This record gives sequence, C-alpha cells and structure tokens, in this order.
Amino acid sequence: MSLLALQNISKAFGGTQALSSASIDLNAGRVHAIVGENGAGKSTLIKIIMGVLQPDAGQIVLDGKVAAITTPSEARRLGFSCVYQEPLIFPHLSVLENIFIGHPVIDRFGNFDTAVMREKALPIFRSLGLDPDILPVSISKLRLGYQQLVLIAQALVYDSRLIMFDEPTSILSGAETDHLFDVITFLRQSGKAVVYISHRLEELLAIADEATVLTDGRVVGHTDRSELEPERLLALMAGKATRDYAGSAEQRKQAVQHEGTPVLSVEHLTLDPLFRNVSFSVHQGEVLGLYGQVGAGRSEVALSLFGYLRPKSGTVRLRGQEVRIRSPRQAIAQGIGYLPEDRKLQGIFSFQSISSNLISTVLPRLAGPFANIRWREVAKVVNRFRTDLNIKMGAPGDPIISLSGGGQQKVMIARWMAVNLSVAILDEPTRGIDVVTKRDLHDLIRSLAEQGLAIIVISSDLPEVLAVSTRIMVMNRGSIVASYEEVTDALAEDILGAAIGMPAEEEAQ
Amino acid sequence: MKPLAVATQSIGNQPIDQSLQTGKRSVRYETILLVIVALVVVIIAIGSHGNFWSSSNLTSLLVDAAITAVPAIGMTMVIVMGGIDVSIGSVVGLTATVAGLAFEQNWPIALVVLLTLATGAIAGLINAWFIASRKLPPIIVTLGTMSIWRAVVYALLGGNWISTIPMTLTAWFVLDKLWIIPWSFVLTVVLVLIAAYMLRRRPMGRHVYAIGSNEEAASVLGLPTKRVKYMAYVSLGALTAIAALMTLGQSPLVQATTGSGFELDVIAAVVIGGTSILGGRGTVIGSLLGAILTQLISDGVILFQIQPFWNGVVTGAMIIIAVIMSLLNQRGAAHE
Repeated sequence: MSLLALQNISKAFGGTQALSSASIDLNAGRVHAIVGENGAGKSTLIKIIMGVLQPDAGQIVLDGKVAAITTPSEARRLGFSCVYQEPLIFPHLSVLENIFIGHPVIDRFGNFDTAVMREKALPIFRSLGLDPDILPVSISKLRLGYQQLVLIAQALVYDSRLIMFDEPTSILSGAETDHLFDVITFLRQSGKAVVYISHRLEELLAIADEATVLTDGRVVGHTDRSELEPERLLALMAGKATRDYAGSAEQRKQAVQHEGTPVLSVEHLTLDPLFRNVSFSVHQGEVLGLYGQVGAGRSEVALSLFGYLRPKSGTVRLRGQEVRIRSPRQAIAQGIGYLPEDRKLQGIFSFQSISSNLISTVLPRLAGPFANIRWREVAKVVNRFRTDLNIKMGAPGDPIISLSGGGQQKVMIARWMAVNLSVAILDEPTRGIDVVTKRDLHDLIRSLAEQGLAIIVISSDLPEVLAVSTRIMVMNRGSIVASYEEVTDALAEDILGAAIGMPAEEEAQ
Repeated sequence: MKPLAVATQSIGNQPIDQSLQTGKRSVRYETILLVIVALVVVIIAIGSHGNFWSSSNLTSLLVDAAITAVPAIGMTMVIVMGGIDVSIGSVVGLTATVAGLAFEQNWPIALVVLLTLATGAIAGLINAWFIASRKLPPIIVTLGTMSIWRAVVYALLGGNWISTIPMTLTAWFVLDKLWIIPWSFVLTVVLVLIAAYMLRRRPMGRHVYAIGSNEEAASVLGLPTKRVKYMAYVSLGALTAIAALMTLGQSPLVQATTGSGFELDVIAAVVIGGTSILGGRGTVIGSLLGAILTQLISDGVILFQIQPFWNGVVTGAMIIIAVIMSLLNQRGAAHE
C-alpha cells in the first residue's frame, strides 16, 4: 500500500487545465522523480499535496483512507513538507527559531525553551552533517545550500513522512548538490517518501527510484529504476512536441538566406553568473528560437540587449555598427523592442484603457503642437490594429484587463508594431494563452518576419519553438549549448536533451 | 543509521556566507545609538553651562521622552510586522477628550484611567479588525481612522476646551520622582523591558518577527498571524492612551488639536531606533533610545536658543540616515 496516492486529480485555472486526471503513487523509502517541462503541472501537484490548492476533481488517499488536505497547516500535521526552490525562511530569525517557529517547545513560564529545542535539533543536525554551532546564528547569514539543509532539518523535526524537493539544485553549487544527494539517500534509507522535481536529467538518473512524466497536466508515462533511461524519458517528454505539431513543417517558413550583414549580432556577451559568452546573430526576416528552461539565462540575455541589464563584457552590433545600449529608451531608439515574459508585472498598465496601453510606445508621435493628444489619430492607430490583429474588444476605451490573456498579448505586440522596429525580442509570447490565439500569434510572428523584422522568440515551449523558428539556439545554465541551422520536428529530442543537460557523449553523436 | 559526513567537510566551505560578514555590522545598532545619545548629552551639558542638569529641564526632557517612547513600544511591533499606524495622534486626542469629559463629571480617577485605556484599546481593535480580518492596507485604514477620531474630538468638545484636569496626574507623571527621575520615565523603562522580554523570548514575540520577515511563510507554517496583529494594534492603542494621560499630566488642557502630529514623533523615534520600515527587524530598546535622542535634540535647540526650525532639520536628517542604514543592512542580508 502506498503512503500517499493521488487519484485522477484535476485542477484548472481559468481556461487552462493545469492537471487533468493525474494519478501518482508515493511510497515510503523511495525517491519519486516528477519530470516535465515548465507549465506541465508539477508545481500545481505540489501545491495540492501541501494544502495550498484544492483539486477540482479526484481524490487523495493517505494510508489507504481518503483524506482531504484543506490547509497548509493540515498538510504539515499529516507529515508532508516541501523544500521549495527559493527556501521559505524567516531571514531575521535564528536557525533554531526557523526550525521550531511552527511548533515551539515552551517551558513552564511560556517562554521559548531554547535548551530543549537545541537538544531536539542536535541528533538531526548530526545526521544531516550540519554543524550545531550555526543554531543561534541568523539564518540569512548562511549560504543558500545550508539554508536548504536547515529546512530539511525542520521537516525531520516535524516528523515528516513525505518530503518534497522542488528544483532544489537550481541554486546550489556542485559540492552542495552532492551533499544534498547524500541527504536524500539518507532520507530514503530512513523510510521517508521523497518527491524530487527537477528538469536536470542527470540528477534524476542519479537518485530517482522511479519517475513519472507529466505533459500538459497529464501523466504520460511512468518508469521504474530498471528502465530509467535518458532516451526513454526524453521520448516521453518530447512525444507531445511531435504529436501537437505534426505537419507544421510546411507552414514553416523556409530557412532564409542569411547573407549580408546581420541586423543584430552579439559576441561573447557575459554577465556572470546569469550568462556567459553568448554569441549569435539574427538577420532580417529570420525568427531565431531561443529555447531553454526557465532560469537558463534567456530572459537575462534579452534584458541586456534591451538595456535593462548591463552586461559585464562582450559586444553588440546593430547592422555592423557597435552599439552600447544603456537603457530601454536607447534600445527603442535603436529599433529594438522587447515583449516581456511576465505580462501582468512588466507588460500591461492594468488600470489603463486598451488604447492607452496600445499607444504607450508612440505617444509623442500622436501629440499635437501643444503636447495635446490627438485623439482622432489615436483612434486610427487603435482601429488599424484592432482589425489587423483581430483583437476582440468592446470599445478601445475599455480597461485592458477586460481582454482575455491572448487579447492583452495582441495589444502588447501591437504596441511594438506601432514603432519602427528592426529587432523584436518576444519572451514567452504565448504563456498562459489558449490554443486558438496561440496559433494566431504564431502566424503573426511568421508574417512579421516576412515583412522584414528580425525576431528572437524566447520560449520554454518546445512545440512553439519548432513551429515559429527558422533557426534554433538552446541555452542551459547561462551558456548556449547547441544551435540548429535548420528546423525539423525530428530535432525535438535533441533540443530537449541539450536544454536539460544530457551527458555530453550523447550529444556528440 | 549512520550519520553523514559533516557538511562543512563534504561541501568544503564555511556554512556562514563570509561575504555577508563585515566588521561594521557586528556592532549592534543599539550600541551605536547609545554612544550617540551619550555624546549628545555631553555636548548639550557642556554647551548649556549646566542648564541641562537643572531639575526642570531634566524633568521635561524625560517626561517628553516617556510620552513618545510608550506608544513607540507598540509602534515598533506594528512596523516590525510590516504595518504602520498613523492614527495614534488622533487617538491621543480622543482618549484625552474622553478622560477630560469624565473628569468634568467628577468620576474617580481610577475609573477615568481605566476608561481611557479601554478607549485606546478599542481604537486599536478597530484598526486591527480592518487590517487583520478584512486585509486592508494599514496606511489606508489608519489614515481613515485618523480623520474620523479627529472629527469625533471636534464633535465632543464642540469648540470648547477642558481644563478641569486634576493635579493628581501631574503629580504622578511629572512631579513625583525616583531620585531625579520622574515616575513616568520609570514606568516607560519598565514597560520597555517587559516588551523587550516578550519580543525576545515569548512565542508571540517571535511570531511578530516571523510575520515581518516573511508573512507568506508564516501563514503556510500555520502561525497565528491574525491574533498577533490584533495583539500589536490593540496594545499600541492602549499604550497611546497611557501617553495621553501623561500628556494631560504635563499640560492639563484638552483642546481640539491635542495630539495632532504626534504620530510622526513616534514613527520618527521608532525609525531612528533602527526598526526597518520593510519589516522583520527592530527592537523596543532601540525605539526608546530613538525617543530619547529626538527629545534631546529639541531640548538642545531650546537650550542653545537656536531657531526652532533646526529641530525639524536635524530630526528629518536622522530619519533619513536611519532608513539608509537599515536599507544597507537589508541589502547586505539579501542574497542572490
């Protein structure tokens, strides 16, 4: 009997199905890896187990009995804990307090009983190989790897039976990762159920006893240790890419002739530790797909080209001329536009109307002799894009948030089309957008390229990259690890393999 | 179960991030503040040719410091939790008015004190309900109650003022002394020590810091975030009522403007005392020192017969310096 079984769990956010009828069994003494692309539903799964989200359908069976996990504290009481990517700590409290704050030991006067708590923590610290001297130190003074170990100690103090790790190694150094693996092995031997989420394949191969592959909220495969092979996992993960976009090749624009001076060329661009030695170029009419997992440094490269970040070294050339871009303002003046990945936070002005949002890049051009806005011109611009891009809206004066995510994104793109751009960087252009609009946007991206724009599409959605790009580049941990001059659907597994760090000899073939 | 190798051996580095360790930060902020207070005392004492040590100057200095420091205890907790309360100036007006009206009716003084404290606590409770239960932003809620209580004071006083305040309050808070220290200041120190102990050692106090450090983590861990917020705002209300009674002891007159602008003095004392406006850190001892320092500055301005606007300039500069220091600290603690 499994410790915890999730049976046919579904969860939707608005129109997006984050999990559909997913079933997973978690067993004591086993490390269960959950694999999937960004947005495959891994974090939703964790949040449901931790009581942060409630499933729309399906049931959770704990020790053979149906259970409801209604609150985070209920999940803790049942013995579940999770070490998140960013450690969930109280930076101003001591290590000891961070461990015990949830259920402290109180002496008979009602005070924190530091001595007893220390006694309780010591054996756990010893078994995790942690130095007890750090107990009274403020946790914000510790290295991130140690903060994570402290949270594991906390899970053990809570007597957790199920400990989940959500991308734990993304912030760790190599030696810290090795120690974490020792700790996970120790947890498995002590009979804990361990869930391990990561998109670094070599890590999964190193410590997982079994793996479940999630794609678009569906469980598409499950393998045991004996058949845990990189090819098999990749095939399962990439299955979707070839399935969804079979035949998209004929739609795809043929690789363009890229002779002559590239519109944008970048050499040895470096901003440690975010990215290193990034070199590439884009020609007129090209769509360069920049694929990689979240955190691989893709957006940071884009933000450096856009003048929002300052790279430490490297050169950027526009039409052969070396340029130094110090602010987004200068970038726009040079003809570079950037569609940010987080629409809500960095894109829309949420309290403003659709037309105000659309014209924000071209406001000076629409102003009259007394800096007055010429509303007739504004209406013309807005109506043009409304028909050109088929944006479904009530009136241009309606608030932008009255539009669907896809509609908002079209307005964001229209905002850049209104400017005379030569390079457009689109960061996750279709994240959280329904399938139909997604196709619209892909068509739009292709036609913008045909009209002579140089486009960079950053995406962690492999089918999307395959569908729109004329060339593909893959980033992993801050470096470009592969690039493909011609795009075919057969590349899916190669690209995925490069992005999640397949062992080098696999790539050589 | 065989224990693992010691992490420092296998990871091969110190658990404590050395880049965050600088010599300066290991000195406690309170110690620096204490040294500054001592220096200012010496400068004023020498510069004023002994007038500083006169009984009347010392008394008014310490009573003024007490009036600011008592609500600063509650304000420290509120700001450490990431909140703010700008209504306390109006609460001083409200509680002083309630006390004055009760004195007019010749109520016994013990009853008046209880009534005043209860009024302050209820004002705090109302703020807490909007902030903790209705999840409204503290600045908006307390701006609202600030206006409302001031309006209530105008309505209750109806354009008059109340001067029938018994001398008992003046005797308690200003005239009676432990050696040369007025009892109001002694009371303040006792309250600060109790609060310091609660914040340092009791779970409720540690929860204040936990909420201020990371409210999301606090609720995920199931800490009683709501109850802790109620505790902080209600005690701030009650402490403000104590300050109102001390104010009446110092100048036995209630008028429509009583207490107006007071919230800024208290917030200034707390911020100068080293409490981070971003929440998570700060101590009541620091706030007490902050209150003393701000009062010392205004005292010095009077003793040196400097034009009074310099008082505002110096206090303002100290606030900005304190905020810069706390932000620098915060950045030092932030990690990529």
